[in-house]
Amino acid sequence: MAGIIGGICTSHVPTIGVAYDKGRQNDPAWAPLFDGYKPVAAWLAEKKPDVLVFFYNDHATTLFFDMYPTFTLGVGKSFIIADEGAGYRPLPPIKGDVDFQAHIGQSLVNDEFDMTFSQDKPIDHGIASPLPLLWPHDPDWPGTVVPIAINVLQYPLPTARRCYRLGQAVRRAIESYPEDLKVVIVGTGGLSHQIHGERTGFNDTAWDMEFLALFRDDPEAITRLTHADFVRRGGAESVEQIMWMAMRGAMSEQIHEIHRNYYLATTTAMTVVLYEEGPGDAPVREAVSAAAASAAP
Amino acid sequence: MKTQNPQLAGIEALEGTYVFDLRTSNRTLAFNRFFWEMINLPAREAFWKDEEAAMTAAGLSDEEKQLVRNRDWLGIVQYGVNFFVLEKWARVLKTTNLEVYARMRGESFEEFMATRQVPDAR
Repeated sequence: MAGIIGGICTSHVPTIGVAYDKGRQNDPAWAPLFDGYKPVAAWLAEKKPDVLVFFYNDHATTLFFDMYPTFTLGVGKSFIIADEGAGYRPLPPIKGDVDFQAHIGQSLVNDEFDMTFSQDKPIDHGIASPLPLLWPHDPDWPGTVVPIAINVLQYPLPTARRCYRLGQAVRRAIESYPEDLKVVIVGTGGLSHQIHGERTGFNDTAWDMEFLALFRDDPEAITRLTHADFVRRGGAESVEQIMWMAMRGAMSEQIHEIHRNYYLATTTAMTVVLYEEGPGDAPVREAVSAAAASAAP
Repeated sequence: MKTQNPQLAGIEALEGTYVFDLRTSNRTLAFNRFFWEMINLPAREAFWKDEEAAMTAAGLSDEEKQLVRNRDWLGIVQYGVNFFVLEKWARVLKTTNLEVYARMRGESFEEFMATRQVPDAR
């Protein structure tokens, strides 16, 4: 049977992709970001998952507002990484397992999540920004991706609670697949940032830390937040943290942190957190949290 | 009759924040599409070759054309364009997101970066 071996939440700032492509891994302004992903990449290299299930958003690239679905499951053996105005990035296409994608799709629909399905469509920085920091790509990616896009752009958005429930349904779908696949769930976006209007540049690190603690220990509390709550506390575009809630729904009730990196350089609190299922070892968890808090500006 | 989305109750109290919902999107669909098309190289080339012709072909109104001519990033957002199509046009103008952020705040790039935690990040 397929099973979930862990989860990752990560920002998907497009500038991470630009810095990656330009080789800024050792630039003093960028090293704290790239170094923060190394323990996650090492964990993935050790655990060797077959599949990453991504909850991400399309930034009006492959999907446009004339037909912008709430939940879209991408089906395909191969997804090119989208041209978002600056040309194509030097990365191989993202790989897919059509049988697994189709199983998740049919399970979700039978479970009353009436998904939209896209086929062989390009994937933008919602996945492509963090993916090369997680997985190697030379000569090719080591596994496949299940891309699940969530509308976080055009209101009405799905509620935080609905995203959490989608994650729970994705877990049921994964655990009903007969093949022995090791799966890691990835939620993208956040943390605090606003990048439109005069309020651009808004951040709140105290809220980010509160969110991370609630997210781990009391996700039900976050399902009660409205979109306006997210916008007020974390900036307009932090509403994309509802995609973290989809990831959280797919994880076990108790989870623990293996690694956390929080780096607020300019406008987005760029964050990556690695989780495993179960309560874990509390002293280790607190030590990791303390290190992350001291690293926060 | 315009109804209130309960998920957005209270958001109007936040200054400098513009909700992109179905009403806004429907009103600004052609303008948003103009920027969205910049993911295609032929659209970029048409824009570089003749901005006015590209805007006319896209059916932009005079007001919309003036916002483009003025590179009025904040005005375009206030008009109802979604930032994530606007950033595609920024690539076409070889303008970075950080430069767009500064402009939306009414600041020079140097002024904006001085407010950041890592001012020399690029």
